Amino acid sequence: MQVYTVAQITGYLRDILESDGVLADIWISGEVSNLSGSSAGHLYFTLKDEASQMRCVLFNRKRLSVEMENGIAVVAHGRISIYEVSGAVQLYVDMIQPTGLGILHMEFERLKTKLAEEGLFEPSRKRPLPSFPEKIGIVTSPGGAVLHDITNIISRRYPLVELVLAATTVQGESAAPGIINALNALNDRGDIDVIIIARGGGSIEDLWAFNDEKVARAIYSSKAPVISGVGHDTDFTIADFVADKRAPTPSAAAELAVPHRGEIEARLQSYIATMAAALSNSIERHRQHADDLSATISTQVKNGISVNIEKLHGQELKLRSLSPLATLERGYALVQSHANGEVISNISQVERGDMIKVQVSDGQFNGRVTGSKKGIQV
Amino acid sequence: MKKELSFEQALIRLESITELLQKGGMALEEMVALFEEGTAIAKICHERLNKAELKLSEVQTIFEQDEESEESA
Repeated sequence: MQVYTVAQITGYLRDILESDGVLADIWISGEVSNLSGSSAGHLYFTLKDEASQMRCVLFNRKRLSVEMENGIAVVAHGRISIYEVSGAVQLYVDMIQPTGLGILHMEFERLKTKLAEEGLFEPSRKRPLPSFPEKIGIVTSPGGAVLHDITNIISRRYPLVELVLAATTVQGESAAPGIINALNALNDRGDIDVIIIARGGGSIEDLWAFNDEKVARAIYSSKAPVISGVGHDTDFTIADFVADKRAPTPSAAAELAVPHRGEIEARLQSYIATMAAALSNSIERHRQHADDLSATISTQVKNGISVNIEKLHGQELKLRSLSPLATLERGYALVQSHANGEVISNISQVERGDMIKVQVSDGQFNGRVTGSKKGIQV
Repeated sequence: MKKELSFEQALIRLESITELLQKGGMALEEMVALFEEGTAIAKICHERLNKAELKLSEVQTIFEQDEESEESA
Protein backbone atom coordinates (compact mmCIF):
# COMPACT_ATOMS: atom_id res chain seq x y z
CA MET A 1 0.00 0.00 0.00
CA GLN A 2 1.03 3.50 -0.66
CA VAL A 3 0.13 6.72 1.07
CA TYR A 4 -0.54 9.63 -1.24
CA THR A 5 -0.50 13.30 -0.55
CA VAL A 6 -3.70 15.30 -1.07
CA ALA A 7 -2.06 17.13 -3.96
CA GLN A 8 -1.18 13.87 -5.64
CA ILE A 9 -4.76 12.69 -5.45
CA THR A 10 -6.35 15.91 -6.60
CA GLY A 11 -3.85 15.94 -9.48
CA TYR A 12 -4.76 12.38 -10.31
CA LEU A 13 -8.46 13.22 -10.24
CA ARG A 14 -7.88 16.21 -12.48
CA ASP A 15 -6.09 14.04 -15.01
CA ILE A 16 -8.98 11.60 -15.05
CA LEU A 17 -11.62 14.32 -15.36
CA GLU A 18 -9.81 16.20 -18.07
CA SER A 19 -9.14 13.18 -20.21
CA ASP A 20 -12.83 12.31 -20.39
CA GLY A 21 -14.46 13.29 -23.71
CA VAL A 22 -17.93 13.80 -22.27
CA LEU A 23 -16.78 16.00 -19.41
CA ALA A 24 -14.62 18.12 -21.69
CA ASP A 25 -17.54 19.45 -23.72
CA ILE A 26 -20.81 19.38 -21.81
CA TRP A 27 -24.10 21.23 -21.42
CA ILE A 28 -25.68 21.24 -17.93
CA SER A 29 -29.06 22.72 -17.02
CA GLY A 30 -29.95 23.98 -13.56
CA GLU A 31 -30.93 26.87 -11.36
CA VAL A 32 -28.46 29.61 -10.51
CA SER A 33 -27.68 30.18 -6.82
CA ASN A 34 -24.89 31.58 -4.65
CA LEU A 35 -24.05 34.03 -7.41
CA SER A 36 -21.03 36.21 -6.72
CA GLY A 37 -18.47 38.09 -8.73
CA SER A 38 -14.79 38.77 -8.24
CA SER A 39 -13.02 42.04 -8.75
CA ALA A 40 -11.26 40.45 -11.73
CA GLY A 41 -14.60 40.02 -13.46
CA HIS A 42 -15.00 36.32 -12.84
CA LEU A 43 -18.40 34.99 -11.96
CA TYR A 44 -18.96 32.24 -9.37
CA PHE A 45 -22.25 30.44 -8.84
CA THR A 46 -23.82 27.10 -8.16
CA LEU A 47 -26.06 25.21 -10.53
CA LYS A 48 -28.60 23.09 -8.70
CA ASP A 49 -31.67 20.98 -9.21
CA GLU A 50 -33.89 19.11 -6.71
CA ALA A 51 -31.26 16.47 -6.04
CA SER A 52 -27.86 17.97 -6.42
CA GLN A 53 -25.62 20.94 -7.06
CA MET A 54 -22.41 21.82 -8.82
CA ARG A 55 -20.01 24.70 -8.45
CA CYS A 56 -19.43 26.79 -11.52
CA VAL A 57 -16.99 29.49 -12.54
CA LEU A 58 -17.19 31.73 -15.58
CA PHE A 59 -14.04 33.62 -16.48
CA ASN A 60 -15.31 35.44 -19.53
CA ARG A 61 -18.48 37.44 -18.99
CA LYS A 62 -18.76 38.20 -22.69
CA ARG A 63 -20.11 34.72 -23.14
CA LEU A 64 -23.21 35.55 -21.09
CA SER A 65 -26.36 35.71 -23.10
CA VAL A 66 -28.62 35.94 -20.04
CA GLU A 67 -28.92 38.45 -17.24
CA MET A 68 -27.51 36.45 -14.34
CA GLU A 69 -29.36 36.42 -11.03
CA ASN A 70 -30.06 33.90 -8.35
CA GLY A 71 -33.01 31.63 -9.05
CA ILE A 72 -33.06 31.74 -12.83
CA ALA A 73 -32.93 28.57 -14.90
CA VAL A 74 -30.04 28.36 -17.34
CA VAL A 75 -28.08 25.95 -19.45
CA ALA A 76 -24.34 26.25 -19.09
CA HIS A 77 -21.67 24.87 -21.39
CA GLY A 78 -18.13 24.10 -20.37
CA ARG A 79 -15.74 21.47 -19.10
CA ILE A 80 -15.60 19.74 -15.73
CA SER A 81 -12.42 19.67 -13.73
CA ILE A 82 -11.22 19.93 -10.17
CA TYR A 83 -10.10 23.07 -8.42
CA GLU A 84 -7.18 21.61 -6.53
CA VAL A 85 -6.92 24.38 -3.94
CA SER A 86 -10.33 23.55 -2.52
CA GLY A 87 -10.64 20.04 -3.90
CA ALA A 88 -13.96 20.95 -5.45
CA VAL A 89 -15.16 19.47 -8.70
CA GLN A 90 -16.60 22.29 -10.76
CA LEU A 91 -17.86 23.33 -14.14
CA TYR A 92 -15.59 25.77 -15.95
CA VAL A 93 -18.28 27.59 -17.90
CA ASP A 94 -17.64 29.14 -21.27
CA MET A 95 -21.24 29.93 -22.22
CA ILE A 96 -24.58 30.38 -20.55
CA GLN A 97 -27.90 30.27 -22.37
CA PRO A 98 -31.43 30.68 -21.07
CA THR A 99 -33.38 27.42 -20.86
CA GLY A 100 -36.18 26.76 -23.29
CA LEU A 101 -33.92 26.89 -26.32
CA GLY A 102 -33.23 23.63 -28.09
CA ILE A 103 -29.85 22.09 -27.47
CA LEU A 104 -28.88 22.43 -31.13
CA HIS A 105 -29.74 26.08 -31.11
CA MET A 106 -27.62 26.58 -27.98
CA GLU A 107 -24.75 24.68 -29.48
CA PHE A 108 -25.05 26.73 -32.63
CA GLU A 109 -24.89 29.98 -30.65
CA ARG A 110 -22.00 28.73 -28.57
CA LEU A 111 -19.93 27.69 -31.58
CA LYS A 112 -20.79 30.84 -33.49
CA THR A 113 -19.64 33.01 -30.59
CA LYS A 114 -16.50 30.98 -30.08
CA LEU A 115 -15.43 30.95 -33.73
CA ALA A 116 -16.31 34.62 -34.15
CA GLU A 117 -14.00 35.43 -31.24
CA GLU A 118 -11.28 33.40 -32.88
CA GLY A 119 -11.67 35.47 -36.02
CA LEU A 120 -12.91 32.73 -38.33
CA PHE A 121 -15.67 34.95 -39.67
CA GLU A 122 -13.57 38.08 -40.18
CA PRO A 123 -14.60 39.89 -43.36
CA SER A 124 -10.95 40.76 -43.92
CA ARG A 125 -10.00 37.14 -44.37
CA LYS A 126 -12.72 36.37 -46.92
CA ARG A 127 -10.98 35.58 -50.16
CA PRO A 128 -12.23 36.94 -53.47
CA LEU A 129 -13.79 34.42 -55.82
CA PRO A 130 -12.06 33.91 -59.16
CA SER A 131 -13.82 35.74 -62.00
CA PHE A 132 -13.22 32.99 -64.53
CA PRO A 133 -12.71 29.69 -62.73
CA GLU A 134 -11.59 26.69 -64.72
CA LYS A 135 -12.12 23.95 -62.19
CA ILE A 136 -14.89 24.05 -59.62
CA GLY A 137 -15.05 21.56 -56.79
CA ILE A 138 -18.50 20.49 -55.60
CA VAL A 139 -18.87 19.05 -52.13
CA THR A 140 -22.31 17.50 -51.96
CA SER A 141 -24.28 14.32 -52.16
CA PRO A 142 -23.86 12.64 -55.55
CA GLY A 143 -27.43 11.47 -55.94
CA GLY A 144 -29.48 14.49 -55.00
CA ALA A 145 -31.21 17.21 -56.93
CA VAL A 146 -28.60 19.67 -55.65
CA LEU A 147 -25.83 18.36 -57.88
CA HIS A 148 -28.23 18.22 -60.80
CA ASP A 149 -29.28 21.87 -60.29
CA ILE A 150 -25.72 23.08 -59.92
CA THR A 151 -24.65 21.24 -63.06
CA ASN A 152 -27.54 22.67 -65.05
CA ILE A 153 -26.98 26.23 -63.95
CA ILE A 154 -23.25 26.21 -64.61
CA SER A 155 -23.70 24.47 -67.94
CA ARG A 156 -26.14 27.18 -68.99
CA ARG A 157 -24.17 30.14 -67.70
CA TYR A 158 -20.57 29.25 -68.33
CA PRO A 159 -19.83 25.81 -69.73
CA LEU A 160 -16.08 26.48 -69.98
CA VAL A 161 -15.40 24.79 -66.68
CA GLU A 162 -14.80 21.36 -65.29
CA LEU A 163 -16.91 20.40 -62.31
CA VAL A 164 -15.10 18.10 -59.93
CA LEU A 165 -17.46 16.29 -57.63
CA ALA A 166 -16.25 15.31 -54.19
CA ALA A 167 -19.04 13.07 -53.03
CA THR A 168 -20.11 12.94 -49.42
CA THR A 169 -23.16 12.27 -47.36
CA VAL A 170 -24.60 15.55 -46.14
CA GLN A 171 -26.72 14.28 -43.29
CA GLY A 172 -26.22 12.13 -40.25
CA GLU A 173 -23.20 10.96 -38.29
CA SER A 174 -20.90 10.44 -41.26
CA ALA A 175 -21.69 13.80 -42.85
CA ALA A 176 -19.19 15.98 -40.96
CA PRO A 177 -16.18 13.69 -41.51
CA GLY A 178 -17.39 13.15 -45.08
CA ILE A 179 -17.52 16.87 -45.83
CA ILE A 180 -14.06 17.39 -44.31
CA ASN A 181 -12.67 14.49 -46.35
CA ALA A 182 -14.25 15.84 -49.53
CA LEU A 183 -12.81 19.32 -48.93
CA ASN A 184 -9.38 17.86 -48.33
CA ALA A 185 -9.58 15.64 -51.41
CA LEU A 186 -10.32 18.70 -53.56
CA ASN A 187 -7.64 20.86 -51.97
CA ASP A 188 -5.06 18.10 -52.30
CA ARG A 189 -5.43 18.22 -56.07
CA GLY A 190 -4.10 21.76 -56.08
CA ASP A 191 -5.90 22.73 -59.27
CA ILE A 192 -9.33 23.66 -57.95
CA ASP A 193 -10.16 27.37 -58.31
CA VAL A 194 -13.24 27.50 -56.12
CA ILE A 195 -15.28 25.04 -54.07
CA ILE A 196 -19.04 24.93 -53.68
CA ILE A 197 -20.26 23.18 -50.57
CA ALA A 198 -23.96 22.55 -50.89
CA ARG A 199 -26.97 20.82 -49.49
CA GLY A 200 -30.70 21.18 -50.04
CA GLY A 201 -33.11 22.43 -47.42
CA GLY A 202 -33.98 20.58 -44.23
CA SER A 203 -34.47 20.87 -40.51
CA ILE A 204 -31.73 22.13 -38.19
CA GLU A 205 -30.98 18.48 -37.42
CA ASP A 206 -30.68 17.69 -41.14
CA LEU A 207 -28.27 20.57 -41.66
CA TRP A 208 -26.33 19.88 -38.51
CA ALA A 209 -23.10 18.74 -40.17
CA PHE A 210 -22.74 22.28 -41.49
CA ASN A 211 -22.68 23.54 -37.90
CA ASP A 212 -19.84 21.24 -36.94
CA GLU A 213 -16.75 22.90 -35.55
CA LYS A 214 -14.34 20.68 -37.46
CA VAL A 215 -16.21 21.32 -40.70
CA ALA A 216 -15.99 25.04 -39.99
CA ARG A 217 -12.24 24.77 -39.46
CA ALA A 218 -11.82 22.72 -42.64
CA ILE A 219 -13.63 25.42 -44.61
CA TYR A 220 -11.50 28.06 -42.93
CA SER A 221 -8.27 26.33 -43.88
CA SER A 222 -9.35 25.38 -47.40
CA LYS A 223 -6.79 26.50 -49.98
CA ALA A 224 -9.46 27.25 -52.57
CA PRO A 225 -12.11 29.82 -51.64
CA VAL A 226 -15.38 28.24 -50.55
CA ILE A 227 -18.94 29.19 -51.46
CA SER A 228 -21.58 27.78 -49.14
CA GLY A 229 -25.06 27.05 -50.41
CA VAL A 230 -26.82 25.20 -47.63
CA GLY A 231 -30.56 24.88 -47.18
CA HIS A 232 -32.91 27.71 -48.01
CA ASP A 233 -32.21 31.40 -47.77
CA THR A 234 -33.58 31.56 -44.22
CA ASP A 235 -31.16 28.92 -42.99
CA PHE A 236 -27.88 30.12 -41.60
CA THR A 237 -25.19 27.63 -40.68
CA ILE A 238 -21.72 28.00 -39.21
CA ALA A 239 -20.44 26.92 -42.64
CA ASP A 240 -22.15 29.99 -44.09
CA PHE A 241 -20.38 32.30 -41.66
CA VAL A 242 -16.94 30.87 -42.25
CA ALA A 243 -17.26 30.43 -46.03
CA ASP A 244 -15.66 33.04 -48.24
CA LYS A 245 -19.05 33.65 -49.76
CA ARG A 246 -22.46 32.61 -48.53
CA ALA A 247 -25.13 31.82 -51.08
CA PRO A 248 -28.72 31.49 -49.88
CA THR A 249 -29.27 28.22 -51.82
CA PRO A 250 -27.24 25.66 -53.78
CA SER A 251 -28.49 27.14 -57.06
CA ALA A 252 -27.41 30.61 -55.97
CA ALA A 253 -24.00 29.19 -55.09
CA ALA A 254 -23.67 27.89 -58.64
CA GLU A 255 -24.59 31.32 -59.99
CA LEU A 256 -22.00 33.01 -57.78
CA ALA A 257 -19.28 30.61 -58.88
CA VAL A 258 -19.24 31.49 -62.58
CA PRO A 259 -19.69 34.55 -64.76
CA HIS A 260 -22.75 34.87 -66.96
CA ARG A 261 -22.34 34.02 -70.61
CA GLY A 262 -24.65 36.89 -71.66
CA GLU A 263 -22.50 39.40 -69.78
CA ILE A 264 -19.37 38.06 -71.44
CA GLU A 265 -20.96 38.29 -74.89
CA ALA A 266 -21.98 41.86 -74.16
CA ARG A 267 -18.44 42.61 -73.03
CA LEU A 268 -17.00 41.12 -76.21
CA GLN A 269 -19.39 43.22 -78.29
CA SER A 270 -18.45 46.37 -76.48
CA TYR A 271 -14.73 45.66 -76.95
CA ILE A 272 -15.24 45.18 -80.66
CA ALA A 273 -17.29 48.37 -80.95
CA THR A 274 -14.71 50.36 -79.01
CA MET A 275 -11.81 48.95 -81.03
CA ALA A 276 -13.58 49.67 -84.32
CA ALA A 277 -14.41 53.22 -83.27
CA ALA A 278 -10.84 53.85 -82.13
CA LEU A 279 -9.44 52.50 -85.39
CA SER A 280 -11.75 54.46 -87.65
CA ASN A 281 -11.08 57.61 -85.64
CA SER A 282 -7.42 57.07 -86.09
CA ILE A 283 -7.77 56.41 -89.81
CA GLU A 284 -9.76 59.65 -90.11
CA ARG A 285 -7.04 61.50 -88.22
CA HIS A 286 -4.35 59.96 -90.39
CA ARG A 287 -6.27 60.93 -93.52
CA GLN A 288 -6.60 64.49 -92.27
CA HIS A 289 -2.93 64.52 -91.48
CA ALA A 290 -2.11 63.12 -94.91
CA ASP A 291 -4.20 65.83 -96.55
CA ASP A 292 -2.46 68.53 -94.56
CA LEU A 293 0.86 66.98 -95.37
CA SER A 294 0.27 66.86 -99.11
CA ALA A 295 -0.86 70.49 -99.11
CA THR A 296 2.32 71.47 -97.32
CA ILE A 297 4.45 69.47 -99.71
CA SER A 298 2.97 71.01 -102.85
CA THR A 299 3.49 74.58 -101.63
CA GLN A 300 6.98 73.68 -100.60
CA VAL A 301 7.65 72.23 -104.04
CA LYS A 302 6.37 75.35 -105.74
CA ASN A 303 8.36 77.65 -103.50
CA GLY A 304 11.40 75.45 -103.97
CA ILE A 305 11.31 75.78 -107.74
CA SER A 306 11.15 79.58 -107.75
CA VAL A 307 13.98 79.75 -105.28
CA ASN A 308 16.08 77.59 -107.57
CA ILE A 309 15.40 79.72 -110.60
CA GLU A 310 16.68 82.76 -108.75
CA LYS A 311 19.73 80.83 -107.70
CA LEU A 312 20.34 79.88 -111.31
CA HIS A 313 20.28 83.50 -112.39
CA GLY A 314 22.81 84.37 -109.79
CA GLN A 315 25.10 81.56 -110.89
CA GLU A 316 24.90 82.65 -114.50
CA LEU A 317 25.89 86.19 -113.60
CA LYS A 318 28.81 84.96 -111.62
CA LEU A 319 29.98 82.75 -114.44
CA ARG A 320 29.70 85.52 -116.93
CA SER A 321 31.83 87.84 -114.89
CA LEU A 322 34.59 85.23 -114.92
CA SER A 323 34.44 84.78 -118.71
CA PRO A 324 37.08 86.68 -120.79
CA LEU A 325 34.28 88.12 -122.87
CA ALA A 326 33.26 90.37 -120.02
CA THR A 327 36.86 91.46 -119.64
CA LEU A 328 37.10 92.28 -123.32
CA GLU A 329 33.92 94.30 -123.00
CA ARG A 330 35.64 96.35 -120.38
CA GLY A 331 38.34 97.38 -122.97
CA TYR A 332 40.98 94.69 -122.44
CA ALA A 333 42.34 92.70 -125.42
CA LEU A 334 43.54 89.13 -125.84
CA VAL A 335 46.86 88.86 -127.71
CA GLN A 336 47.89 85.58 -129.36
CA SER A 337 50.88 84.57 -131.43
CA HIS A 338 49.86 84.37 -135.02
CA ALA A 339 52.23 81.51 -135.57
CA ASN A 340 51.02 79.10 -132.84
CA GLY A 341 47.97 80.75 -131.21
CA GLU A 342 49.79 80.95 -127.88
CA VAL A 343 48.33 83.60 -125.56
CA ILE A 344 50.90 86.33 -125.09
CA SER A 345 51.11 87.37 -121.47
CA ASN A 346 54.73 88.65 -121.28
CA ILE A 347 57.18 90.37 -123.63
CA SER A 348 59.65 87.51 -123.73
CA GLN A 349 57.16 85.60 -125.89
CA VAL A 350 57.57 87.97 -128.85
CA GLU A 351 60.34 89.42 -130.96
CA ARG A 352 60.33 92.37 -133.27
CA GLY A 353 58.60 91.53 -136.52
CA ASP A 354 56.38 88.69 -135.07
CA MET A 355 52.81 88.61 -136.30
CA ILE A 356 50.14 88.75 -133.63
CA LYS A 357 46.37 88.34 -133.42
CA VAL A 358 44.45 90.77 -131.21
CA GLN A 359 41.02 89.82 -129.96
CA VAL A 360 38.73 92.61 -128.74
CA SER A 361 35.12 92.49 -127.70
CA ASP A 362 33.58 92.51 -131.13
CA GLY A 363 36.25 91.07 -133.41
CA GLN A 364 39.86 90.35 -134.29
CA PHE A 365 42.63 92.17 -136.06
CA ASN A 366 46.21 91.36 -136.93
CA GLY A 367 49.33 93.28 -136.12
CA ARG A 368 53.12 93.13 -136.12
CA VAL A 369 55.45 93.66 -133.17
CA THR A 370 57.52 96.74 -133.81
CA GLY A 371 59.30 96.87 -130.46
CA SER A 372 58.95 96.03 -126.76
CA LYS A 373 59.82 97.54 -123.47
CA LYS A 374 59.81 96.08 -119.93
CA GLY A 375 57.48 97.50 -117.28
CA ILE A 376 53.81 98.44 -117.16
CA GLN A 377 53.02 101.62 -118.99
CA VAL A 378 49.37 102.56 -119.13
CA MET B 1 -3.71 34.63 -81.14
CA LYS B 2 -0.97 32.65 -79.52
CA LYS B 3 -1.64 29.13 -78.54
CA GLU B 4 -4.22 28.48 -75.88
CA LEU B 5 -4.61 31.54 -73.77
CA SER B 6 -7.01 30.78 -70.94
CA PHE B 7 -10.37 32.39 -71.37
CA GLU B 8 -9.52 34.93 -68.73
CA GLN B 9 -6.12 35.70 -70.27
CA ALA B 10 -7.82 36.15 -73.63
CA LEU B 11 -10.30 38.61 -72.16
CA ILE B 12 -7.52 40.50 -70.40
CA ARG B 13 -5.53 40.70 -73.64
CA LEU B 14 -8.64 41.91 -75.44
CA GLU B 15 -9.21 44.55 -72.82
CA SER B 16 -5.66 45.83 -73.04
CA ILE B 17 -5.80 45.89 -76.86
CA THR B 18 -8.97 47.96 -76.62
CA GLU B 19 -7.27 50.36 -74.25
CA LEU B 20 -4.20 50.63 -76.49
CA LEU B 21 -6.37 51.40 -79.50
CA GLN B 22 -8.30 54.00 -77.56
CA LYS B 23 -5.10 55.65 -76.45
CA GLY B 24 -3.85 55.70 -80.03
CA GLY B 25 -0.58 57.50 -80.79
CA MET B 26 0.94 54.67 -82.81
CA ALA B 27 1.45 53.91 -86.45
CA LEU B 28 -1.66 53.05 -88.39
CA GLU B 29 -0.28 49.65 -89.37
CA GLU B 30 0.28 48.86 -85.74
CA MET B 31 -3.30 49.82 -84.95
CA VAL B 32 -4.65 47.71 -87.74
CA ALA B 33 -2.60 44.75 -86.51
CA LEU B 34 -3.94 45.23 -82.97
CA PHE B 35 -7.46 45.54 -84.26
CA GLU B 36 -7.07 42.31 -86.17
CA GLU B 37 -5.67 40.53 -83.13
CA GLY B 38 -8.49 41.90 -80.97
CA THR B 39 -11.29 40.86 -83.26
CA ALA B 40 -9.69 37.44 -83.65
CA ILE B 41 -9.58 37.01 -79.87
CA ALA B 42 -13.19 38.16 -79.54
CA LYS B 43 -14.22 35.65 -82.16
CA ILE B 44 -12.35 32.84 -80.44
CA CYS B 45 -13.89 33.73 -77.07
CA HIS B 46 -17.31 33.75 -78.63
CA GLU B 47 -16.73 30.39 -80.26
CA ARG B 48 -15.34 28.90 -77.10
CA LEU B 49 -18.42 30.02 -75.18
CA ASN B 50 -20.74 28.53 -77.74
CA LYS B 51 -18.95 25.29 -78.34
CA ALA B 52 -17.92 24.48 -74.80
CA GLU B 53 -19.52 21.60 -73.01
CA LEU B 54 -19.40 21.32 -69.28
CA LYS B 55 -16.93 18.69 -68.13
CA LEU B 56 -17.73 16.53 -65.17
CA SER B 57 -15.29 14.51 -63.16
CA GLU B 58 -15.00 13.13 -59.70
CA VAL B 59 -12.39 12.99 -57.02
CA GLN B 60 -12.00 9.99 -54.76
CA THR B 61 -13.50 10.42 -51.30
CA ILE B 62 -14.34 8.15 -48.40
CA PHE B 63 -17.94 8.27 -49.52
CA GLU B 64 -19.01 4.71 -50.17
CA GLN B 65 -20.97 4.83 -53.33
CA ASP B 66 -23.41 2.18 -54.29
CA GLU B 67 -22.30 2.91 -57.84
CA GLU B 68 -25.84 3.08 -59.04
CA SER B 69 -27.78 5.37 -61.23
CA GLU B 70 -27.13 9.05 -60.92
CA GLU B 71 -28.40 11.74 -63.12
CA SER B 72 -24.94 13.05 -63.91
CA ALA B 73 -25.53 13.82 -67.56
